[in-house]
Parts: sequence; C-alpha cells; structure tokens
Amino acid sequence: MNMIETHNLTKVYGDFTAVSNLNLHIQKGRVYGFLGPNGAGKSTTMKMLLGLTYPTSGSFTINQKKYPQDRISILKEIGSFIESPAFYGNLTGEENLDIIRKILGLPQSSINDALEMVGLIPYRKKLAKKYSLGMKQRLGLAGALIGQPPILILDEPTNGLDPVGIHEIRTLIKSLPQKYNCTVLVSSHLLPEIERMADDIGILNHGHLLFEGTLDELRMRARTAGYSANNLEDTFLAMIDADNQQKGW
Amino acid sequence: MKFLSLLFIELKKIRRSKILLILIIPVIIMWIPSIVNASMNFDVHDIPITPENNFFIQGFMGMTWFMIPATLVIATVLLTQTEQSQNGILKMLSLPVSTIRLCLAKFIVLVLLTILQMLFCIITYYASAIIASQLQDYNFVLNPLFVCTNVLTLYLAAIPMAAVFWMLSVLVKTPIFSVGLGLASIVPSVLIINTKLWFAYPMSYPFYLLMIQYGKAATGIYSSQIDWFPWFPVSILITILALILSCIRFGTLKKR
Amino acid sequence: MLFLLEAKKIKHTGYLAAFLLSGIISCIFPIIHMLVRAETFTSLPGNPYVILINANWKMMTMFNILIVICGACIMYHTEYANSGMLKMVTLPVNSIHLFFSKFLITALLLAGIIFSQITVLVGCALHWFPNASFDFISILKNTGFQWLIFLPTAMLMLFLSSVCKNMWISLGIGIIMVFTVSIFPQDNFVVSLFPFCSPYQTLAVVDENSHTQFFCMSCIIQTVLFYLAEVLYLKTRRSFT
Repeated sequence: MNMIETHNLTKVYGDFTAVSNLNLHIQKGRVYGFLGPNGAGKSTTMKMLLGLTYPTSGSFTINQKKYPQDRISILKEIGSFIESPAFYGNLTGEENLDIIRKILGLPQSSINDALEMVGLIPYRKKLAKKYSLGMKQRLGLAGALIGQPPILILDEPTNGLDPVGIHEIRTLIKSLPQKYNCTVLVSSHLLPEIERMADDIGILNHGHLLFEGTLDELRMRARTAGYSANNLEDTFLAMIDADNQQKGW
Repeated sequence: MKFLSLLFIELKKIRRSKILLILIIPVIIMWIPSIVNASMNFDVHDIPITPENNFFIQGFMGMTWFMIPATLVIATVLLTQTEQSQNGILKMLSLPVSTIRLCLAKFIVLVLLTILQMLFCIITYYASAIIASQLQDYNFVLNPLFVCTNVLTLYLAAIPMAAVFWMLSVLVKTPIFSVGLGLASIVPSVLIINTKLWFAYPMSYPFYLLMIQYGKAATGIYSSQIDWFPWFPVSILITILALILSCIRFGTLKKR
Repeated sequence: MLFLLEAKKIKHTGYLAAFLLSGIISCIFPIIHMLVRAETFTSLPGNPYVILINANWKMMTMFNILIVICGACIMYHTEYANSGMLKMVTLPVNSIHLFFSKFLITALLLAGIIFSQITVLVGCALHWFPNASFDFISILKNTGFQWLIFLPTAMLMLFLSSVCKNMWISLGIGIIMVFTVSIFPQDNFVVSLFPFCSPYQTLAVVDENSHTQFFCMSCIIQTVLFYLAEVLYLKTRRSFT
C-alpha cells in the first residue's frame, strides 16, 4: 500500500520549473530515500507535501487524504523537518518542543522521549539560539520525531552533524519503521547516505524523476548500463550527467 | 485543539522578549513631567477645569495620541519577528493548527499586551497623583471608578487600531513598510479628530475619547457628547474587516 | 567602494522607496494644510516662509524622524537577519567604515528630503502669500541648517540599531525617545539641543535667539560623539558576545 502518492506534481516559479510531473510512490512502513543534487527540487516537493507551498499543477494523496481539504488531519500524522531547522530562538529546546507537544496534544513524557532519541537531554534548558549547528539540527529532528508520527518527512536530516552524529541519526532513522511502524521520506544529496538508510530510492534531477525503485533494482540497472554495481555513487553521477547532457543543462 | 491553549502557546513564544520594558518605560516617562510640573495644573488660562481633572487629562494626552498606537506597532513587530527570525512560522505551518486560529491568537496576544499596559497606566497614575498631591498639598487623586472606566474605554477604543496594525503587518511583507505605514498613520491623527471623517480613522479613536473627557471636564473646549453614530458601527466594521483580511492572508505569504 | 556596497545591500528592502514615500507625504502635508486653512496663515504678519515653517515643521520633522528610525532599524535588520553581519566582520573590511557608509546613505537621503521640504514650503509661500519672494541662497541655508541639526539623531539611531540585534528593541527605544521628547516642554533651550529634539528647531527661531553657531557646534560635536561611541562599541564588542 502506498502511504504517499503524487500524480504529475509540478511546481513552477516564474519561468523556472522546480518540480516537473513528479510521480512518487512511497510504500507504508519503508524508508524512502529521496536523492538528488542541490536544487533538484527535493525540498520543494517536501514543502508541497506539507502544504507549505501550493503545487502549480498535479495532486498528491497522503494516507488517502488530500490537500487542502484534509490539511489538519494530514499534518496530524506527519512529523516533519524542513531545511534549516525552524524554531524560536528565545525559548529553550525543551520549551520549543513543548509548543509542538501542546499542538499535537501529546503527553508531557513525549518531550523527554524525543530529547532522548536525539541526545539533547543535557542541553534541554539552553536557549535554542545559543545552540550549535548540530544541536539545532537535533532539535529540529526531535520536533519531527516527537509523538512517533506514522509518517516522517525529513529534509537532509544529517546536515551539519559530526560523523558520530551522522551515524547515530542514520541508525535511528533506519530503525524507525520496525520500532514504530512508520513510513519515512528522507532526502539527501549523498548517495552513500541514502544507501545506508533507505529501502526504496527515488532520484531527482532538475525536477524530473530519473529513477524510482528498490536499491537492488538500482544495482541491476547499473549493471545493465555497464557501471560497477558495487559503486552506486558512479551510477548516480553518470545518471545525472547523462540526463544533464541529454537535456542540455 | 482548544483556542485557549493556542493562546497560551502564543504567550509562551514571547518569553524573554523584554516587551514588558517597552510597555512600562513610556508609562513611567509620561508621568514624571506631570509630577514635576504639577503646579502648572493650577494655571489653567481661563479654561474652566479643576486641577485634578487637568492633571489626569494632560497626563494621558501624549499616551493616547502617540504611545498607545506606537506600542501597538512595536508589539506587532515583536510578534512577526518572533516567528520569522528563526523560521518558527515554517514549523507552525507544518503542524496541525488552523492558520485562522493562529492568526487570531496572535491578535489576542497583541490586545493582551495593551491591556497589560493599561494596568501599568492606572497604577502609575495613582502613584504620581499621590506624589503630586503630597508635593503641592492639593488632592489630585480622582475617584477610582472614574479613572478605571475612563482608561478602560481609552484602551477599548484602541482595539480597532490594533486590528488595522495587525492587518498591516500580515499583508505588508516588507517590515519597513508595515512599521513605517503604522507609525506614519499615527502622526496626523491629532488633525483628523478635528475633521468630519474622524470616525473612519481608527488611530484617532483613543484620542477622540480623551478629548470628549476634556470637553466634559472643561465645558467649551471640545464636544462633551460621543457621536456614537456612525462611529460605533464603522469601528466594528473596520475591526472585523481587518481581522478577516489578516486571517485570510496569514500564512499564505509563505506558501507561494 | 564600501559606500556602493552598502547602497547595494539595501536593495529589495524597500529602504529607498520608504524614504521616498515618507518624503512625498511630508511634502504634501503643508500643501494640504494651506488648501484647508490658508486664511489663518496669510492673515498673520511677518515673513511668509517663517510663518509656514512654524506651522508645519513639527509635523514634517516627525515624519523625518520616524523614517530615520525605521531606516536605521531596517539597515541593521538586513545585517542580522541572515547573519550577513557575521560574514562582513570576517571579511577584510573595517566595521566602522561599514557603519559610516550606512550613516552617509542616511545623511544623503535626508539632505534630499529636507531640501524638497524646504522648497515646497517656499513654493507654498510664493503661491499663497502676495508679498513672498524667492531666494535660492536662503533655501540652501535653511536646508543646510535643518540637515545639520538632524545628524545627531540619525547617528544615534544607527548606533542603537547596530547594538541591538532584535529589530524591535531598537525600534522601541527610538519610538520611546520620540514620545519622551514630545511630552517635555519644547521651549527649553537645553532640552532642544538633544537628539530627537533638535530636529524640531528651525533656523528662524534659533537665529532670533542668536544661538545659531552654538547650536550647529553642539550638533556637530554630538554627531562625532555618537560616531566615537560606535567605534568604542566595535572595539569592545567581542568581550560582550
């Protein structure tokens, strides 16, 4: 069953097409890696799914619900983390989470659970504006994970983290479907990263979907195209490069 | 989610913002010259007004003309900046909250802040009236019922203006324009209350009410009757229109 | 070069448009005033220009002060909002030059606004008063004076905005200053020397009391003092943050 489906989703800013006829199929209970170079349209797609920006054309369903009619009930099921983390600098990490907790109607204990998951317990009383980049990132993640929502939309969640942090968060994301039976859409511009987290993968370039399928299918495709299947990075780069040349970008 | 808890969330967001200082300082500044110059209240230049009424009205003059509107403008800046400086609004919009309720909750916070200032105003009025009475050996203190109802109506009359300023800050995305327009609209209100169209200009409402008080305390200075019609329906219409417009536009600016 | 860079930074902030708009509104103000109440003023004895500036300057200056406050807040808001300032201090430029460039932009725009305002007042005098005469030198002299006594306010406001990272705090301080000045007695000479208060004075009145030189000197000294305050702030800033 597909948790998130998009149908010819398109977003145009003036004369720039950020996302073009996108058809994504994100299955329930799996981690879907959304891969693409910077500016490929990953964030725009995720923003559309969250109702933060309107599609120019096309539509999408999330758990069979549609935007904008079901905005509130869609957002109740999604934990999200978009771009640079969004928070209130004059509040502590704990207070920031408390705002989200109240809106979602979660119990008090959920704050601690979320802080613990991302390892922010020691810094809970510190003002968010005094946080380091990595701590801000973790706070943003805690805001997405709080209350264990059935759907998670995470935009480049490991940006700005140190290697240990990256590993921690990656392991956390990978474990989420088994632990809480949730569906995860996670974006990155690094293939090795997606390779370690995702079950399914979608590759986006200049707003077009170049590939969608499981990692094994991607390996297969690499082999038939003559690339080394052990090195998916090369496959990815070659796909992007071929697409760029073909379309004259 | 209940509106009340949303309101508490909005109040929480302005913690540590030092807005209280901006609310209190002008109130205190306003009364210091009044205390220092308390003796001038006896020198009324043929105006038939008692010194204690003079003390009250002169003291509130600057407040109603300039400081109540200006406080509202500053508070709208605070509210919008809190959301925008670290992109908090993006998180709010991706949470299951109705944007209309969010917008209204913020407006209520704005009104609550002015009510808070009103309380400071009443307290400092009494403090300064008592000090002035001691200094001048004359009783400047007015009946609490009279003072409280008057100050309350002055601040109630500021609600339509608060709605207009809030609308400006939602509709006008460039901060310099929303702030600039707000402040610039305050300046001519002294002139506008003397024209026939004062009732269509919300920034002049509190000042108008104070002038009516002046008219009551000193016959002949100004009208002593409030022109309820068409003021009352017009002010309600302005408030509702401004709130509807801001609720419609709130949050959509980010969505384009 | 820095000046041009600073001028570029204010693009798309609405800064120029806001100054222009405020300038236009404040210039229209005396015209409307005359259209409505011409007889009140034409019947007064004395120099038409002096009558008009006395009648309108308070309101026009209020617009100027408010736009300078907003402008200073916005200039530094664009620096702090996306940490542009952080980038600037890591580049090999002297922060005080940045500050001075901002001041220069403000001062130039102000000169333009004040010149137009004085010209409009003179125009009103020529149009409504039969005995008014046109004198370009006196326009320049008045513009120069009104501009000079505005500089301390502009410098102080920029200094405050550079210190306060939250725009609404510097805005709040500026507004409270305007308010404070408006409730203090206006005829007090010592009070009239201070920023936020000095711009309300007019050359005619100051000349009459033969304080002109003293007034100009005091404003120049204050402007320099606020500039030095910024220098000091930039030198010691690192120990605060």
